Amino acid sequence: MTKRNIIAFALLIALVFTGCAKSSGTPAGSDQAAQNTASSGTESVLKLAASTDITTMDAHRTTNDYIVPMNVFDTLFSIVKNDDGSTQIVNSLAESYDISDDGKTYHFTLRDGVTFSDGTPLTAQDVKFTFERILTLPESAQTDFAIAIDGAQELLDGNADSLRGIAVEDDRNFTITLAEPFAGFIASLATPSTIIYSEKIVTEAGDDFGVVPEKTIGTGPYIIKEWNKGNSLIFEYNPNYWGEEPSAKRVEVTVMEPQVMNMAFQKGDLDIIDCLMLDSAIVDSTYKTDAYKDKIVSIDRMGMNFFIMNENVEPMGDVQVRKAIQCAIDRESILSSIYEGDGKLEDGIYPTGCIGYSNENQGWLKYDPDAAKQLLADAGYADGFDMEICLDSSAIDAVKNSVQVIAQNLNDVGIRATIRTIDHASFLDHRNSGEMSSYMALWILDFNDPDNIIYTFFGSEDNAKLRSSNYHDTQVMDRVAAAKTIVDENERNSEYAALEKKLVQDDAVWVPMFSVKHLFVKSDRVEKFIPHWAGWSDIYFAQITLK
Amino acid sequence: MKMLSKRLIGVIIVLIGVIALVFVMLRVIPGDPASVLLNEHVSQENIDRLTQSMGLDKSLPEQFVDYLGHAVRGDLGQSYFFKQPVTALILEAFPYTLKLTLLSIIFAWTLGIISGVISAMYNEKFLDYIFRPAALLGISVPVFIVALFLQYLFYFRFSLLPLTYDTSLLSLIMPAIALGWNSAGSVARLMRSNLMEQLGAPYMDTALAKGLLYKKAVLVHALRNAAVPVISMMALQLSGMLSGAVITESIFSIPGLGKLALGAIQTRDMPLLQGTVIFTALLIAIGNIVADVLATILNPKIRQESNR
Repeated sequence: MTKRNIIAFALLIALVFTGCAKSSGTPAGSDQAAQNTASSGTESVLKLAASTDITTMDAHRTTNDYIVPMNVFDTLFSIVKNDDGSTQIVNSLAESYDISDDGKTYHFTLRDGVTFSDGTPLTAQDVKFTFERILTLPESAQTDFAIAIDGAQELLDGNADSLRGIAVEDDRNFTITLAEPFAGFIASLATPSTIIYSEKIVTEAGDDFGVVPEKTIGTGPYIIKEWNKGNSLIFEYNPNYWGEEPSAKRVEVTVMEPQVMNMAFQKGDLDIIDCLMLDSAIVDSTYKTDAYKDKIVSIDRMGMNFFIMNENVEPMGDVQVRKAIQCAIDRESILSSIYEGDGKLEDGIYPTGCIGYSNENQGWLKYDPDAAKQLLADAGYADGFDMEICLDSSAIDAVKNSVQVIAQNLNDVGIRATIRTIDHASFLDHRNSGEMSSYMALWILDFNDPDNIIYTFFGSEDNAKLRSSNYHDTQVMDRVAAAKTIVDENERNSEYAALEKKLVQDDAVWVPMFSVKHLFVKSDRVEKFIPHWAGWSDIYFAQITLK
Repeated sequence: MKMLSKRLIGVIIVLIGVIALVFVMLRVIPGDPASVLLNEHVSQENIDRLTQSMGLDKSLPEQFVDYLGHAVRGDLGQSYFFKQPVTALILEAFPYTLKLTLLSIIFAWTLGIISGVISAMYNEKFLDYIFRPAALLGISVPVFIVALFLQYLFYFRFSLLPLTYDTSLLSLIMPAIALGWNSAGSVARLMRSNLMEQLGAPYMDTALAKGLLYKKAVLVHALRNAAVPVISMMALQLSGMLSGAVITESIFSIPGLGKLALGAIQTRDMPLLQGTVIFTALLIAIGNIVADVLATILNPKIRQESNR
């Protein structure tokens, strides 16, 4: 090495050092100043955490990321959970409505004087625009929520220019006509999938809508101020909001890993944590204790777990075998050991609290390994058979542990069950192909109507294939599809009850497992917190009262 | 100059190879973006419609030619999920990774070089006994353990630093240490062993015989020679860190390149993942060229060989 080389080396090192001082020092300093001013007045700041970031703020482009749609936008109706566990639909953007006798035509009047947070008034045309966008946006993920409207299919297929089922009368009045009567329609207008957009705002924003916070403007209680991808979401309350001013004036949602989330909560830097996002061992040892007894907020999740068996995979095409599996799984001990008893066994298709749920068919399914062995022997499988259970690697701990117990239970009656764990995207692909042999799944209601769950799984051959159940009875599936159009309430309920009995008890289409409580822990700063009525992880910030 | 142009052609060939490889691999593995987007709310009609709107119903060669045609013009397509140009998303994420890398490198190299040199100079003495096991810990403790330990110490216990990234420089200190910890360990170990080798070399005896002070002899003569392999390792570390540190970025909620790529894999956001891989490949290729050029400048032997 010569002297010149040493100088070059020294220069290189110097370059690296000064380079970083410039690139990381200057902007960070100014950022920090901004940070300091923003977090002054911490009194009414609500701090939350999420385990994953959202990918969009536009409800039409997601089936998962509802934190922005729920808090920045409003639906025509909203749902309130009563103390007895039933739900009630209340007006939100809609002030009143009436339904024609044939159950097909709905007339609505919008609440007077509602504006979007930038001052743009809400009109009936915006409602029409919203549903037309759901059907015409090429990558729309929410078409299911508009397809019941008359003319929706034509618009979706590109055979119409507008949605003929929505007639705008004036700024506040409009009529929606359905192709067929659908009793769950009003309930479906109370879910974030059907939040109302402004035609003017969305059109002007173009591709930036749902991407740029300043252009993602709604009528809801909050305004989205910042979306720092992979890091945080910052909300501030909307001073133009038509309803009651929310207690938290600013909400910060930070994306955190489970251990980090727990540390932040323990330190007092988070106000609410979602137990489903933490390691179950931590929840059991730290939060399900006397110290946190008064800080746990729990809600009965309106949804249920079930174990699906693929009829196209031998020998599960045999109803005896499926019935044997129903008897072989010890649901009670899974619920008590893994979920610590925070839930309730379910014996049908509609979870407790769902419209159409009845106690009548509860209790028929009993854990009985001997009966299971007998059923297997009758079916000609006295020596058992090989079976594969698929598991989504992104599933929560409790589901993973439950699947372990299920496999053990099946092995106890001679079925050689093995677990195959695959990543989320592959899992979905495999399931949609109709070839997944068995798996434990969960459905949480989007809106309170039996159709929301039974049609999803058994409404058509395609649906049965996509869920890898490959249920065979097309007549029953036609009845499921037809049940949604029954107008008379009693007739409708009895048809749904009959279908439930046929599917679960006669045809043993799945093993109903349980509905569980969704637990949250609140800090001392939170006076009151009401989770989402169906127990989603996404929450309405306006339902949180700070001390 | 001739070498440089040869290398540049090599880079282009490598890039096209990388694009082809990633493109095919992403379409061979199970899982498609339409299923992920629809998740539980899947229907056959919607899968077909979304697959078509993403252009995934076309044949594989057709898709590849389409993609390559746009990529050559610098258009890496639009992310399926974020609905934004891939290049914009990458350029948005890269500065975070760059900041983290630079801070981390300062930490790792300073600590690594100093402790390596001290360890070698005081071989089998007290300081060596401290630094050597520390370096071993450096290379053997996984990054998430270091991160959790730091968070516990500096955030939970002593409230000195923010838990996750909050745009301030202060909040990058913990991630930088966590990320640099392993590199510091390897630099220290390599520095120590190389330097010890040089300390035993005959020219050191000559230098000392000339009456040079021991410390000066080490710093002026031995260190210079010992540094060459360490520098090549550092160049590798640098390009590795620049391509994104998934674990560190996740634990500290830093919206960098690694997290972007991880999300893209999970959701099968093919344009985005292809974009991040191409960008990373480009970075590494450029890094290698720069390293070679530097080595040529620093080392006359290599220069002469390449001129021949």
